[in-house]
Parts: sequence; C-alpha cells; structure tokens
Amino acid sequence: MSTASKVLAELIDALRCLPGVGAKSAQRMAFHLLERDRDGGRRLAAALTAAMERIGHCRQCRTFSEEPVCALCAGAARDRHVLCVVESPSDLAAIEQATGYRGLYFVLLGRLSPLDGLGPDELGMDLLRRRLAEGEVQELIVATNPTVEGEATAHYLAQLARDAGVRATRLAHGVPLGGELEFIDRSTLAHAFGGRQALD
Amino acid sequence: MRIDQQPAYVLHARPYRETSLLLECLTRDHGRVGLVARGVRGERARLARAELEPFLPLALSWRMRGELGTLAGAEAAGAPQRLAGDALLAGLYLNELVVRLVARQDSHPELFGAYALALGRLAAGESLAWTLRRFERDLLDALGYGLLLDRQAEDETPLQPQADYVYLPEQGPQPWRGQPGPRVRGADLLALAADRMPDPEGLAALRRMMRAVIAAHLGGGELRAWRVLGEALRHR
Ligand SMILES: [Zn+2]
Repeated sequence: MSTASKVLAELIDALRCLPGVGAKSAQRMAFHLLERDRDGGRRLAAALTAAMERIGHCRQCRTFSEEPVCALCAGAARDRHVLCVVESPSDLAAIEQATGYRGLYFVLLGRLSPLDGLGPDELGMDLLRRRLAEGEVQELIVATNPTVEGEATAHYLAQLARDAGVRATRLAHGVPLGGELEFIDRSTLAHAFGGRQALD
Repeated sequence: MRIDQQPAYVLHARPYRETSLLLECLTRDHGRVGLVARGVRGERARLARAELEPFLPLALSWRMRGELGTLAGAEAAGAPQRLAGDALLAGLYLNELVVRLVARQDSHPELFGAYALALGRLAAGESLAWTLRRFERDLLDALGYGLLLDRQAEDETPLQPQADYVYLPEQGPQPWRGQPGPRVRGADLLALAADRMPDPEGLAALRRMMRAVIAAHLGGGELRAWRVLGEALRHR
C-alpha cells in the first residue's frame, strides 16, 4: 500500500488485524474516519485502548471481564447449581440472547485440539474440576459445538462431571428448524437420526 | 496439476485468510496434502463446513499450486465412521500422529489403507490400545522406519518370548541388563510382528516403547494428544 502518509499507512495496516478486513476494506475504513468521522475515530481509539488495557478474564468462568470476577458470576440473580460450558464468549452471548437460561457459565476459550496446541491445561479444565469438587454445581450443561473437536471436548467434560458426581447434559443437535431433510448434510442427518426421541 | 476424485480424509482444519479453511488431508495416492477450501466459513457456508470434518471418507478434487492446493470439490465417498467417546479422542491422536510424522506430498500407498482400517476399528469399538499400536506399527513401516520385532539389533539373534528387551528407537531390541529405556518382553514384540493382541501388561509395555520411538522421530518432542488421551483414559 503506497500512501503519502506514514501514519495513514500504519492505520490501514493495523485495521487489517480485524477478521474479514482485507487491504481494500481497511483503506475504506481509514478514509471514512479521517474524512467524515474524526469524533467516531477518537471514540474508537479510546474504547480500544481501554478494552485492551483493562479487560482480562473472569477468575471463575474465564469470560472477558474487567473485574477479577465478572458481573454474571458475582451477581446474586443466577442459579448457581447449573453451570453451562461453552467454547467462547460469543457462544455465551448467543445462549444469553436466545434462551431464558438463568444459570452460570464456564468458558473454555477453545476446544480440545491437539494439532492446535489446545489440551486440558489451555482450556482451564483444572479450574473446572476444582469448581465441580466444591459441590455447589448439580448440573453441568455441555454446550460445545457439534464438531469433531467439540464432541471430543464434550466427552472429556462428561468424564470430569462423572468423576465429581455431577449430572452432565448435552445440548440436543439435529435437523435445524425450518430445514428440509434432503438438503441437510449427511453428518447432521446421521447425528439427528441416531439421537431420535420417542414421540409422546 | 489437477487431481480428480481422490479418496481422502481431512485430518485437521484451521481458519485461513478471511473466509477460507486450510485443510490437512491424507489422500490415497498423494499422501498428506494441504488444501485451501475457499468460502466455507461463515453462516451461509455451514453445510460445506460440516462435510469437511475429520473421519469422513471423501473424494476430493483440487488444483495443486506450489506447497498448497486449492480445493475444487468434495464429495462423500462412503458412510461416515461414527467415532464417539474415547474412540474420538483416539481418532484425534491418529490425526496428530499423521500430521506430525508425515511430510506433505510424500506418497505412502499403504498409509491410507492403514488409516482407514484404524478408523474402522475405532468405530467398531475394538480395543483402543491395540488399534493404536497396530496403526503406529503400520505408519512407521509405510514411512520406512519399520520396527525390528523378531531379532536383536546387534547380532540378529531371534527374540526369545520369555526374555526381556530394551527397545532402542534408532536400532531395535537389545537384551535387558538393567539399562534405561522402554523395557518389553520378547513375546510382546513377537505378538506385534504377528498382529496378535498381547495381554494388557504387554499392551502397556508396547505403548511406552512406541512413545519412545515416535518421540525419537519427532526429534525429542511429544504429541499433545498423549496428554489428552492419557488423562482421559486414566479416568477409567
Ligand atoms: Zn465469570
């Protein structure tokens, strides 16, 4: 990228760290902020700096938090007997928005994946084991993704729960609502078929 | 170079560029290849992504350009192997083993068959440990690092079932005289050579031996899956 300004070139290059942003989009964003929205740009810069400096991980659930313990974990309004394990903070947000779940969460920040260098240590499994040993949690909801690695992680979590004498449940997965069987990929269909339930 | 309808398994997928995946695949005739699958991430691509999960028998088509290929097509090539529980963890171990030990684009004709066979055994619920040892043996054979399982390294003396040996990774079995290294009974080495399942004690000894051999081929490193699998199986 050749621009007349070194600072501008650095901004365009920095914007490319965002997912889905290539050279062209980065240039468009930079020009937009400089030409039309300097206040927005300043707000963005301040928010980014604050977030990068102050946001860490909750000591209890590992989600993003600027306090040692996040608002969800610290609050009195949630059911502390149910713990839902998700792969990422975005999965947590999705469940919060889509369901009326009132329990707490545990965020793995990944899934078991030997080839990505992710094992039990990286996923905070020791922290979770200690949490289950405390005895407060009565149900562990395993909400890892229905991928090979997510399933392997679910299996590992189920063993962890069994060792602690905690009931483990898994999100149902199968045919998407509004879907038609003939257009569903064969893995999903095989899974849904294997997990069929009695009609009441 | 364009390759059509090649039998293959995806070993691993990771995000690549904005909407693509970089797939590590094991193929029948072209060994391990790295393929870029374009436009398979994001909400609208969910179906394609599910078809590119590990352990599904696929027929892949791609165009090779330098180190990586570009995926041109993927079709189902048989019923999926449903791995569940510990067999799933064992499957991830197989994949790590292949990616770490097999260089890209070296063709090893027997390897693909051995891999498919191992997946079938895991899916059928056969002994995990024995399935893994058989695959490790066949993998090392296919790569030209075949184990010496019927005679001593130094003087070619046939192994005695009752005797104890130490398996030296670069050489082979040596009579055990208290020296360090993985210790294993002659009977267990002979059983592995004859494809006969040893007793649990023998399986455990062969596991320690294989780890030493594989670690030597990795230049002293270790496989991440050893920790995952070891911890999971310890919970039995
Ligand atoms: Zn928290």
